[in-house]
Amino acid sequence: MTALAEEQLSALAAIVGADRVLDGPAGAEQYGRDWTRAHVPAPCAVVLPGSIAEVQSVVRYARRAGLAIVPSGGRTGLSAGAVAARGELVLVLDRLNGIDDFSPVDRTVRCGAGVVTAELQAYAEAKGLFYPVDFASAGSSQVGGNVATNAGGIKVIRHGMTRDWVVGVKLVTGTGELLDLNRGLIKNNAGYDLRHLVIGSEGTLGVIVEVTVSLADPPGDLAVMVLGVPDLGAIMDVLHCARGRLELHAFEFFSEEALARVVEHQELQRPFDTAAPFYALLEFAQPDEAALEAAMAVFEETVEQGWVLDGCVSQSVAQAQSLWRLREDISETISRWTPYKNDISTRVSDVPGFLAEVDAVVSEHYPDFQIIWFGHIGDGNVHLNVLKPDELPMDEFQARCGEVSRWVFEIVQRHGGSVSAEHGVGLLKKEYLSYSRSETEIELMRGIKRVFDPDGIMNPGKIFDL
Amino acid sequence: MKVLVAVKRVVDYNVKVRAKADGSDVDLNNVKMSINPFCEIAVEEAVRLKEAGVATEVIAVSIGDKACQEQIRTALALGADRGIQVETEGAVEPLVVAKLLKGVVEKEEPQLVILGKQSIDGDNNQTGQMLGALAGMPQGTFASVVKVDGDRVQVTREVDGGLQTVSLTLPAIVTTDLRLNEPRYASLPNIMKAKKKQLDVYTPADLGVEVTKHLTLVKVEPPAERQAGIKVESVDELVDKLKNEAKVI
Ligand SMILES: Cc1cc2nc3c(=O)[nH]c(=O)nc-3n(C[C@H](O)[C@H](O)[C@H](O)COP(=O)(O)OP(=O)(O)OC[C@H]3O[C@@H](n4cnc5c(N)ncnc54)[C@H](O)[C@@H]3O)c2cc1C
Ligand SMILES: Cc1cc2nc3c(=O)[nH]c(=O)nc-3n(C[C@H](O)[C@H](O)[C@H](O)COP(=O)(O)OP(=O)(O)OC[C@H]3O[C@@H](n4cnc5c(N)ncnc54)[C@H](O)[C@@H]3O)c2cc1C
Repeated sequence: MTALAEEQLSALAAIVGADRVLDGPAGAEQYGRDWTRAHVPAPCAVVLPGSIAEVQSVVRYARRAGLAIVPSGGRTGLSAGAVAARGELVLVLDRLNGIDDFSPVDRTVRCGAGVVTAELQAYAEAKGLFYPVDFASAGSSQVGGNVATNAGGIKVIRHGMTRDWVVGVKLVTGTGELLDLNRGLIKNNAGYDLRHLVIGSEGTLGVIVEVTVSLADPPGDLAVMVLGVPDLGAIMDVLHCARGRLELHAFEFFSEEALARVVEHQELQRPFDTAAPFYALLEFAQPDEAALEAAMAVFEETVEQGWVLDGCVSQSVAQAQSLWRLREDISETISRWTPYKNDISTRVSDVPGFLAEVDAVVSEHYPDFQIIWFGHIGDGNVHLNVLKPDELPMDEFQARCGEVSRWVFEIVQRHGGSVSAEHGVGLLKKEYLSYSRSETEIELMRGIKRVFDPDGIMNPGKIFDL
Repeated sequence: MKVLVAVKRVVDYNVKVRAKADGSDVDLNNVKMSINPFCEIAVEEAVRLKEAGVATEVIAVSIGDKACQEQIRTALALGADRGIQVETEGAVEPLVVAKLLKGVVEKEEPQLVILGKQSIDGDNNQTGQMLGALAGMPQGTFASVVKVDGDRVQVTREVDGGLQTVSLTLPAIVTTDLRLNEPRYASLPNIMKAKKKQLDVYTPADLGVEVTKHLTLVKVEPPAERQAGIKVESVDELVDKLKNEAKVI
């Protein structure tokens, strides 16, 4: 840990209290990095402010002292955004964890940045409403972190990304000023909507200290259908056919290679006996018999067209959950092969062509690499996973995956896709940003950062270098 | 060999049920209903017997209002050959259900009747046993293994502290426990086929049974809310609390 001078520590302690400044290795280990493991945490200290005013004071102090700040949320990020590896001061939002000012008429609620996503979900449920942004890390990630990364997840096809639910953001800028952006308004065309610049800014524009979100109606009864399809093109046909007839809440896919491993290692039941190269998982609203009839009609038509080989549908919530596990347990199941992972997106209709190109280039160069595909295909978001062959040493594997990344991003670029669908850029994808954003765009982003953070103290080195 | 399977429509196992505000019953308004999990296991077992060439026909019977046809269709989609609904209104007590089932047994003369050991709404655990008494058939309850062998069925039962295997002469009654099998998913082609399968509807009068009430539901109330946990600062504090507050050490 890069040490702070005694008087610097006591200046911070004067703001947040002595026991809220951690300068030992334990604090660094706990707060100095996110879910990624490529960087060794080395912050100069960790501070845990308990109010917006304290956050402002910390930022002002850091600015004067020339310290860089890494805002740290639930640290579940997957792009090394909340990583302090270069002597930064880690600013932890955990203590800003109040939920209040619920308005049943506005259907909004105000959260401290440190509120855990699952707590917000539970709060909404207790009010008879629903916070629809959901993913596997919701039990640890924070609302502030979700906004900073514009998190997506499994319900995007129905409910959109975090951005779609944020109606107000309070941000402490790199100069310590407090901005109160949009204040819960639905209509607000009085000038630029700065709120949307803050959403997805990964801590580079300032510290998000408070978020007002809007809440949805609860989803009601949902059923899950799994369909076996002969090829990826057919998944697009199934999507096209299902849209408009079913109220889709999720449209996911996975390959037989993924399914076979999940079934084996999690001791789950196959959805049906027919093996297919790919599977689509559809979650849809099933308020009544008519919805099931509509689902049957989709099935019949897609089978007739040759787009679907076989399928099943949940008969209870328990079965819906078991079918979801076929998709949700893939990540954990394949972690034993220490896979190379990439989270990318193209336009929905481009996914089949994109996948075929990636498959072709990887198998041409590395025929022994096993590729596992799955993801939110209804959003054009796919997760590429390459399993490490047992006999290949780790460093050799990583070196080859570096090459794979370049090929993948070149293909992404040709398709006009994104090098990061939902996990952000952080440190992980910084060197590849130019595959999806033009030099002019990146230069404008730098300019925006300078306006919010003239001294470049907010999470420097993330997304792009200045 | 004919197998009769009883299936009940119940509130879905994963639904968080709420008591009605006046405490008169559980609120089932707009609540997801499914096949009782133990009945689903019963259907699966019967279908497996058929697939193994032991059973020749599987009949699914449900007692309830029109909505329970949905659960009969589920059983048909899982592989039952035909369905019977005995149409009743409102909640029906285990004794009445057992009498109605006895009526169906007399009509169909199955060699094996498989029921769930209990339904997850009433948790009564009575229907199979009452049917056994009324119909004079031997019973193997809480089954975790069922083996048909000639004119007998061997049932391994989950009893306190271990397993007990009994051998019953057919016709017999089996009630299922959780570990008997893992029910399959209903395949979409089979759901479509199920629509064309025969489903007969009887009234209690058809079976010579009068629906009577012996029980009155007095009150339904939710369990006491669990207190939130607390964090203690030190081992000493923990020991102190265990000793002086919880008084467990
Ligand atoms: C198992 C698993 C599954 C996941 N699934 C998904 C998924 O389906 N979809 C998805 O989008 N993501 C997913 N993620 C990624 C991650 O959970 C999300 O990106 C999440 O939004 C991060 O929130 P966090 O609070 O953990 O942020 P952190 O990891 O703490 O931080 C993320 C970034 O935001 C910045 N930041 C955090 N808080 C603030 C703040 N208050 N002000 C300013 N900047 C801040 C950090 O500096 C960092 O750059 C998954 C992660 C895991 C581990
Ligand atoms: C009878 C009536 C009813 C209306 N009702 C509504 C309503 O219900 N809701 C509502 O929101 N508005 C309403 N308006 C306002 C107006 O119609 C909208 O603002 C509309 O979007 C303006 O479009 P326009 O093409 O006429 O833009 P203009 O009036 O030509 O321009 C509006 C602004 O946009 C800029 N601009 C125009 N085109 C471009 C471009 N291609 N690139 C960059 N800048 C550009 C202009 O410089 C100007 O600043 C109404 C107006 C009238 C007369």
